[in-house]
Amino acid sequence: MSIQLLIFQILNGIGIGMIYFLLSAGLTLIFGLMRFVNFTHGALYLLAAYVAFALTRSGISFWIALLLAPLTTTFVAIVIERLILRHTYRMAHEAQILITFATALFIQEMVILAFGPLGQNVSVPPQLSGVVFLGPYVYPVYRLAVVGVAAVVALLVWLLIERTKTGSILRAGSEKAEMVGLLGINVDLVFMATFALGGALAGLAGVLAAPLRGVDPFMSAEALGIAFVVVVVGGLGTLSGALVGGLLIGLVQSVMSSVWPEGAQFMIYASMALVLLLRPAGLLGRN
Amino acid sequence: MEARMFPNATTFVVLVLLLGLPFVVPTTLAIQIAAFALGTLSVSVLLGGVGLLSFGQGLYLGVGAYGAGILLRDFQLGLLPSLAAAAVLGGFVACAVGSLIVRRQGVYFVMLTLAFAQMGYFAMLAFKRFTGGENGLTGVPRLLSLFGYAIDDARTMYCLAAGIFFCVFLLTQRLLASPFGSVLASIKQNEARSEALGYAVGLYKTAAFAFAGAIAGLAGGLHVLSLGFVSPNNIELEMSQRLLVMGIIGGVSSPAGALAGAIFYEAVAETLSLIWPRWLALIALLLVAIVLFVPGGLWSLGARLTDLARRRKHG
Repeated sequence: MSIQLLIFQILNGIGIGMIYFLLSAGLTLIFGLMRFVNFTHGALYLLAAYVAFALTRSGISFWIALLLAPLTTTFVAIVIERLILRHTYRMAHEAQILITFATALFIQEMVILAFGPLGQNVSVPPQLSGVVFLGPYVYPVYRLAVVGVAAVVALLVWLLIERTKTGSILRAGSEKAEMVGLLGINVDLVFMATFALGGALAGLAGVLAAPLRGVDPFMSAEALGIAFVVVVVGGLGTLSGALVGGLLIGLVQSVMSSVWPEGAQFMIYASMALVLLLRPAGLLGRN
Repeated sequence: MEARMFPNATTFVVLVLLLGLPFVVPTTLAIQIAAFALGTLSVSVLLGGVGLLSFGQGLYLGVGAYGAGILLRDFQLGLLPSLAAAAVLGGFVACAVGSLIVRRQGVYFVMLTLAFAQMGYFAMLAFKRFTGGENGLTGVPRLLSLFGYAIDDARTMYCLAAGIFFCVFLLTQRLLASPFGSVLASIKQNEARSEALGYAVGLYKTAAFAFAGAIAGLAGGLHVLSLGFVSPNNIELEMSQRLLVMGIIGGVSSPAGALAGAIFYEAVAETLSLIWPRWLALIALLLVAIVLFVPGGLWSLGARLTDLARRRKHG
């Protein structure tokens, strides 16, 4: 592999990795706060991608979809939390997992009901459909934009959690939810807000990924697998872990796809197994 | 888990169900139910026996299916050696994965079972020279015999599948009633305490995971025998989810729940899929209802009803 090709694939990998980061950030935030693994996460990503597909197909601009899709998933996340999940916080984690899994299955079936089982394409918005030249290689502007958006969102979420009062409540809640409640803070509301934030991030990942990979009803399972790998590699419960894990997995996938195309996806999981063997708590995780 | 006796009333109920099944449903469906019940048994052994929730039993089923398929087709191995190899392969892969992941607690463990299941699927695609990739593994011979008896039609195939399921079911019941099973039950109740009592919890969990993997592998082998080819969806995540759904609906408090779950799921699939292709949405709702209101699944519901009837009879 030539150096130029390698650089090109690394750039590509950063683009994919930033989407993987967005996808995993919500999962890891929810886990960090509530020790709750949300199996609906992949289905929210799926839902957002299909909202983007439905809007752009009926002639509505992608930019509106970029706003509406995460709003939809935020709303759905809140509804799910209020209707079902709220009743499971005291249950064993197996019950929580099974219920979020069943919810995800339900959403997936509804998407197939509305849009059919076949994959569809989502076109890149015209303003971003160009390419830039990087040496001998052309690089799509859209991918650069994805990296930019994801970087900004990463910074905003980090600021929200580390530098604001809301963030300190979230962090305190992840240490001792009961104590936070005794301080007069409505923990119930904090949990709901975390779910909403997780839903928004999954939605953003879904709408950004739609023009890159198209949409199909089974992308939710794929996304859930990837998100799990990212948090296992990076370390569960930390935002920085999701960033490192996402970028690493994106790079592995992208570089391997020019070395061993049919094995690129396999190598993602193989690298997870390797990290698990060498650093069981993840690269940035604490034991 | 139910009262640890072996054999008990459950054993006979399962036997009656297996004997009656081909008279109630078409034989091909009965074969499928037996094979899926065996796969589901691997879910209920783990969740009911040790308290391990696995989202990835489809991986071991797939490994068994591909292993048996390749051995039957390319090495002309007979029926029993191929099935044995499927179980060994499933158990071996599960042992390797298990030794990596059983130390991870709770949700972490569940996530890893799912991630490894995905790894198996993508390995199947990556090594398509051996597995046939998305086309599946075709041309597996279907003319088989067992101790001189030809297994060549649906009826004999059902006898084979149901017989294997019953043997493994007996083995599972026996195992759970043994001292080994008691240690597993204590790990399920309180892992830290079992560790403090001096049990090598990691080893026990790995052994249970390997045992469940072998059961799933055997189910995969049965699946190939009955279909004559290996479809890629044997190793897809959907297979893992399906086994789990069958297990939860049937109930994991008794290994018989696996059979109840498989019968219910396949019967519902057979009838509802004609009426509404998106029937899985209803299964999803049922799953929520079962987890919230009937944590023991259908089997516990049946047990509760017979208990109630018995009490009424005796005043």
